[in-house]
Amino acid sequence: MTAQLSSKGPAVPSTIMTVDDSPSMRMLLRAALTDLGFNVLEAENGIHALERLEGAEPDLLITDINMPRLDGFGLIEQVRSKARHRNLPILVLTTESSDEKKLRARQAGATGWIVKPFHPEKLAAAIRRVLH
Amino acid sequence: MTLLGITREGFRRINVNQGETRVSDDPDVVLTTVLGSCIAACLYDPAAKIGGINHFLLAEPGRSDIDGTSMQRYGVYAMEVLINAMLTMGAARNRLRARLYGGASMLDGFHDIGSDNAQFARRFLRDEGIALVGEDVGGTGARRIEFRPTLGLARCRTVTDRHAVERAVPIPTAAAMAPPGDVEFF
Repeated sequence: MTAQLSSKGPAVPSTIMTVDDSPSMRMLLRAALTDLGFNVLEAENGIHALERLEGAEPDLLITDINMPRLDGFGLIEQVRSKARHRNLPILVLTTESSDEKKLRARQAGATGWIVKPFHPEKLAAAIRRVLH
Repeated sequence: MTLLGITREGFRRINVNQGETRVSDDPDVVLTTVLGSCIAACLYDPAAKIGGINHFLLAEPGRSDIDGTSMQRYGVYAMEVLINAMLTMGAARNRLRARLYGGASMLDGFHDIGSDNAQFARRFLRDEGIALVGEDVGGTGARRIEFRPTLGLARCRTVTDRHAVERAVPIPTAAAMAPPGDVEFF
């Protein structure tokens, strides 16, 4: 599904899965993404995200890196190993910005990298780019 | 953050201003900050001997404040930055311990921002499963905190001129911080 995202939000609501172990950060993302007109699914770590992906078809996955049980790198690798999610856009959203970790995310199959704190307009622009 | 020089004991003092976060594994470093209604969370991993401190002005943004520049003032962002910086340096989340300072009622008759900040910080730590092992919050006095990051030891002293505290400490401008929300496509 491809969203028609304008400044007023998508005509057809797309679904975005956010993966972050911080409840507060999930709350902020949910507030921002619902304001942009998206449906939001949430997971609190990589394992939880994989479980939720078994029964869901999100249009975009936004994941943190440092998480318990399964971190963002492991999640991306697992998602990319599944045929049905091979083309799912994945944005990393993290406070980290080292080139080494960006390279690792890229090699794992991430689509892009966003440095926290997210800026809603930049986040919207990034989403627009990957969903179109 | 601002380097303040060398203490008599030979420690290197680093001041952490509003909106800033600093993490260190240097046993010769003392992280210091002055607080009124703001909160400083001091986190440390006693096994890895890594510690850090943040300094935030407000607890959580309203929906209209969810932008990169504003978020730097909020605890929800400051705590995330501190935890991730510590994990990056080698700390383990399940070993993290916390001390909280600040949250004073600095303006009589106005909304008690300090109390909101303290409640937020406690709730955040509880939600994140991080043990709160010490705190000195509330009251009406400003505080100066000195934190030894590798030992997790903190000294909290009352500052006499409480109104001078947060007037004297500028909130960092966006230009002084890492660009928020930078996006890079692969």
